[in-house]
Amino acid sequence: MAKVTDIVLWDKPGERVLLLGNHAIARGALEGNIAVFAAYPGTPSSELTDTMAAVAKKAGVYMEYSTNEKVAFETALAAAWSGLRAMTAMKHVGLNVAMDSFMTASYMGVDGGLIVMVADDPSMWSSQNEQDTRAIAKNAGIPVLEPSSVQEAKDMVKYAFEVSEKYGQMVILRTTTRSSHMRGDVVLGELPEEIRKAKRKFGNFKKNPERYVDIPAFQRKKHPWLLETVEKFREEFSENPFNWIEGDENAKVGIIAPGLSYAYVKEALAWLGVENVKLLKLGTPYPVPYGLLEKFFDGLERVLVVEELEPVVEEQVKVWAYDKGLRIPIHGKDIVPRVFEMTTKRAVEAVAKFLGMETPIDFEEIDKKYEKVSKIVPPRPPSLCPACPHRNTFYAIRRAATPRAIFPSDIGCYTLGVLPPLKTVDTTIAMGGSIGMAHGLDVALNGVPGEEERKTGKEKKIIVATIGDSTFFHTGLPALANAIYNRSNVVIVVLDNLVTAMTGDQPNPGTGDTPHGPGKRILIEEVAKAMGADFVKVVDPYDIKATEKAIKEALAVEGVSVVVSRQPCALYRIGQMRRAGEKWPIYHVIEDKCTGCKICINAYGCPAIYWDAEAKKAKIDPTMCWGCGGCAQVCPFGAFEPMEEGE
Amino acid sequence: MREYNIVITGVGGQGILTAANLLGWAALRAGYKVRVGEVHGMSQRFGSVIAYVRFGEDVYGAMVPEGKTDVILSFEPVEALRYINYLKKGGLVFTNARPIPPVQVSMGLATYPSLEEMRKIIEEDFEGKFMAFDAEELALKAGNIVTTNVVLIGALTQTPGFPLSAEHVREVIKVSVPPKTIDVNMKAFDLGVKAAKEMLGL
Repeated sequence: MAKVTDIVLWDKPGERVLLLGNHAIARGALEGNIAVFAAYPGTPSSELTDTMAAVAKKAGVYMEYSTNEKVAFETALAAAWSGLRAMTAMKHVGLNVAMDSFMTASYMGVDGGLIVMVADDPSMWSSQNEQDTRAIAKNAGIPVLEPSSVQEAKDMVKYAFEVSEKYGQMVILRTTTRSSHMRGDVVLGELPEEIRKAKRKFGNFKKNPERYVDIPAFQRKKHPWLLETVEKFREEFSENPFNWIEGDENAKVGIIAPGLSYAYVKEALAWLGVENVKLLKLGTPYPVPYGLLEKFFDGLERVLVVEELEPVVEEQVKVWAYDKGLRIPIHGKDIVPRVFEMTTKRAVEAVAKFLGMETPIDFEEIDKKYEKVSKIVPPRPPSLCPACPHRNTFYAIRRAATPRAIFPSDIGCYTLGVLPPLKTVDTTIAMGGSIGMAHGLDVALNGVPGEEERKTGKEKKIIVATIGDSTFFHTGLPALANAIYNRSNVVIVVLDNLVTAMTGDQPNPGTGDTPHGPGKRILIEEVAKAMGADFVKVVDPYDIKATEKAIKEALAVEGVSVVVSRQPCALYRIGQMRRAGEKWPIYHVIEDKCTGCKICINAYGCPAIYWDAEAKKAKIDPTMCWGCGGCAQVCPFGAFEPMEEGE
Repeated sequence: MREYNIVITGVGGQGILTAANLLGWAALRAGYKVRVGEVHGMSQRFGSVIAYVRFGEDVYGAMVPEGKTDVILSFEPVEALRYINYLKKGGLVFTNARPIPPVQVSMGLATYPSLEEMRKIIEEDFEGKFMAFDAEELALKAGNIVTTNVVLIGALTQTPGFPLSAEHVREVIKVSVPPKTIDVNMKAFDLGVKAAKEMLGL
């Protein structure tokens, strides 16, 4: 088990390795001779981005952590317009951020191959919705490749570069949480010489305003080109290595399975012991190749489309069949659920229903037995880490600003502040949304700034927004400008833990590091001052009292206040300390001093602190304490102290 | 062999994904087709975590379906119970016996079931075998609590019908861990093997 970054760079064609889907895509990008990679991290796409960051220098690839997905897309697009192979990666909702440029770029095409890797999240394992990128791609007229295995995830990248260049159009590589976060066996391919020798590639931008300028007169000529290109891809995809027909060619029933659904259908058929079925495996859910449908439908009397989320393939198949005059039953979302991810169980149930069979085991019986279990298993939602600086900031905010305060928040680990006992998150909507929401609430609840009717004193609602450092740079900046410009009266607390923590500790403008060495660091407080915030202060949340005081000061100011609560992410810091062999203080409870008031549990809620029901005292799990000392500041009785060496 | 299915459960941060990756490599090195299913991101922050390791000729998807798991390997007792619907009839549960009470339990909003309650449900309702042992203590005995995952893997190799040999898995771990930690990991592995042998009466 070698290091992933080593494997991705291995010059060992034919070697069989175990790779995560996202790692395999990084390897595919190198095999495909990528020149530029730009992305903003987002689960479930982040490991691709991080792997590219780790190998960039050694492979002669330019890689950047862009400030958001739109900027990342434009960076990659410019490379592709200069004839270089480029890639950007994002989670599904990241495509919404990039959408403005994405939808228009589709009219303009590319010179170098451009891959937009979009990782969807059916079941919302770490996302706010389960939008289906395939449906968006259809709207944009951009072809989609979707792997059914880790091997395909790698192989599709090189192919995607090639077809992107062949037809001069960008291509989406769509994964899901399961295909991005699935490890599977992969046979490595050849690495091109430029990658092996880390040779930097330079582009050549040929001026062509009719193509690269999007004034209406130019764009009107290009929309027909976009539609013609979709049809060229449709033809191309009838013969490609990721689409095929298998199974019983004389069968009367057929199943169509795009992307990872193919894997589940294969298992379902084996488990059910069914052989007399024809199967269409699709690696290109959009555009569905009509040539292949022609062959597949030959002799069939009934068809089932097994796909996750939206009926993207089903609808294309039905339109084609209708136009052909085919009137056989085509099933899809009437049998296969439209919400949440595909599983083998779901595939088995769908195929069994379609074929009029019993499932091989009684899933209902398992569910029934499990009812008893779900009643006694305590919930264990994710929580802020021990020593997480966000917990201290939230605790200080609650002390400074309740009970009249409303707390808009944002996307990051700190969204977990919604859970008890902190409950300092009242709204979240999208990256950067906290500041716009704070401003909107101020206007809606307190009235127009400067007007006599505006609420004051106890009538006025207090609004304290929280936003992370990376999120601040991502989409917080325009919202802050808006709030200041429109004379809002809100407090914005920037939870600056000096890293993009939730997605895996990536650098951002606030840290100043880049994969190619030192970048230029941007200080959040300087940005706030330059924009004209009425109050700006930097605090250390490990000092809870000082943080509380700063928020109170900010609340007293008419206007926009920005408090930067700065302390490194505890998980990141502890990881670094562990690797360096450093130690940190571990706290424990002095039993005589603990009165059992439970403030530390019911108001502060560090996961290292638990309740000893027998002793009726708080206790600390020493293996989980990361030594911030917050508990000692929260306890009114001084019951928490750092342990002496050897205790 | 058509398929062998392992489910690994526990609390985010316990080393579940490392264990899954080690087992995946061991299966790969034995020549099998392999699938490992994981969830990354927010749920890793001290939440409940499940990973799947599958190998054999007939594995395609990354997740083991409900009712088809040969062994559940759990880093924390109640996390084994939470995913018990994945166990097949006659399947085996190996769990570290030391509970990590969720914050909700400390706050008095939920209760933590006893090991005996868990055993009863697993053995009577789900017709599985439940084996709880203090893997963390064995890891400490080996020299480092972070080797709990290797103790559990050691125990796993003793499961009747487990398709990989203990020697093979041990060797893969040996070449995978940082050189400085080989000794403590090998000790942890052997202690896990020994504990399982005792529990299974081998």
